[in-house]
Amino acid sequence: MGSFMGYVRPDGTVGARNYLLILSATIYANSVVERVANSLYGAIPITHPLGRSQTKSDLKMTFDILCGMGKNPNVGGVVVIVHFREELCNIHDIAHEISKTGKPVETVNIRAVGGAINAVAEATRKGMHIMRKLSTLTREKAEVSNFILGLNCGTSDTTSGLSSNVALGICSDRFIREGSRSILAELPELMGAEEWLASRAVSPEVVQKIYKAIQSYEERILATGEDIRGSQPTGDNIAGGISTIEEKSLGGAKKSGSAPIQDVIGYGERPGRVPGVYLMYTPGHGSESITGIAAAGAQVLVFSTGGGHTISHPIMPTIKITGNNTSYQLMQDTVDLDLSGILSGTMGIQEAADLIYNEVLEVLSGKMTKSEILKEMTGFAIHRIGISL
Amino acid sequence: MTKIAWVIDEEKDNVATILSHGVKKGAAIQVETYRKIKEITVQADIPYGHKIAIKPIRKGVKYGLSIGRATQDIEIGQHVHVHNIESMRGRGDFG
Repeated sequence: MGSFMGYVRPDGTVGARNYLLILSATIYANSVVERVANSLYGAIPITHPLGRSQTKSDLKMTFDILCGMGKNPNVGGVVVIVHFREELCNIHDIAHEISKTGKPVETVNIRAVGGAINAVAEATRKGMHIMRKLSTLTREKAEVSNFILGLNCGTSDTTSGLSSNVALGICSDRFIREGSRSILAELPELMGAEEWLASRAVSPEVVQKIYKAIQSYEERILATGEDIRGSQPTGDNIAGGISTIEEKSLGGAKKSGSAPIQDVIGYGERPGRVPGVYLMYTPGHGSESITGIAAAGAQVLVFSTGGGHTISHPIMPTIKITGNNTSYQLMQDTVDLDLSGILSGTMGIQEAADLIYNEVLEVLSGKMTKSEILKEMTGFAIHRIGISL
Repeated sequence: MTKIAWVIDEEKDNVATILSHGVKKGAAIQVETYRKIKEITVQADIPYGHKIAIKPIRKGVKYGLSIGRATQDIEIGQHVHVHNIESMRGRGDFG
């Protein structure tokens, strides 16, 4: 059985990292957030253009995702910053929600403390005190039953569905056998894979949920008047040999292996405790998709990329794998594992799966991904339902 | 050994994926299908990563499942791509 060395949080979750999160509640606090995070060791800034002038359902989604960032086990403490007073996405409610985990949480209101310079000073000082506490924590041995594995793929090509996604699926199955949970997302890129996913559902209710979730996403797309052909698969997918959305979907779904599908969960929603695959309602947009997965508490994400992709979530280490040797050579700065041996015949599929499995355990225990070392933080974006108000 | 053509679900699939560069019209290639090796004469130049028909096709099958509908009859050895199969999903033209 697998285990890893992680940071045990007051709520019992186990982190792969020990970050201090500097969290912007609204676009207008972003600059202060960046300055504070630049000044503090171990601090990660989360900035975004949302938190105001949104419909109620979108404000709730923004609120839930910001709270989910703070609740993720990789985060040890949080400073939330706002510029004035936000309705339905205010810092007191965000701080209250995150503090239910028992983690230290502080708030700073730019207007209330007398402007940007005072706010930077106050937030930096509050963050420093939290970091002093976090620095006393040490890694402890934890079973992989405490692990939620994020699954995603992007810039897919022929090699994805034939090799790297298949190996990732076998790796996911192994984690699940040992008590972990995996999150499969990207609903519009599962159109055509319903039958296969439904055949793995644990109950007739989950079968219905799978069909309904994917159908609902397809209806949202069609309601815009868009005909998806030509944009899905993308032009580069088509050049690479993928002809239809169904073909892309079936190749993409391979990364969820063959384990039972336990439930369908909402965007950013935490999965249940039973080991298995949880299907999350997210778009195919990579940053929005992996942000939903991080908000659900996943500690590490494996991102399978055919063409090579620079995506990395700021608080969820993102291991990038490829089955395409050319892409690995071109994108070595951010792609961690070259699995092209599967198709060239020098690496067995099981061997590739074991390679990913071991890499995940090492990253859970502290090994840094290439993108973490390079401070690549390309993967935070909150999904939206409606228009701006 | 480097594989030239790859079949996922050997029993059901009617396409194989070409995993070699320079597969040209008229070439004879070997495809491993269900319990046997099938020799196929390639009917068109097929780029790396694209699909070739290994059975006559009216409906495309890969991964043992449907990947779309053929818009014309496709014979063994022909290139299978956006010119002769189409998606049935996410389309604005179906009522």
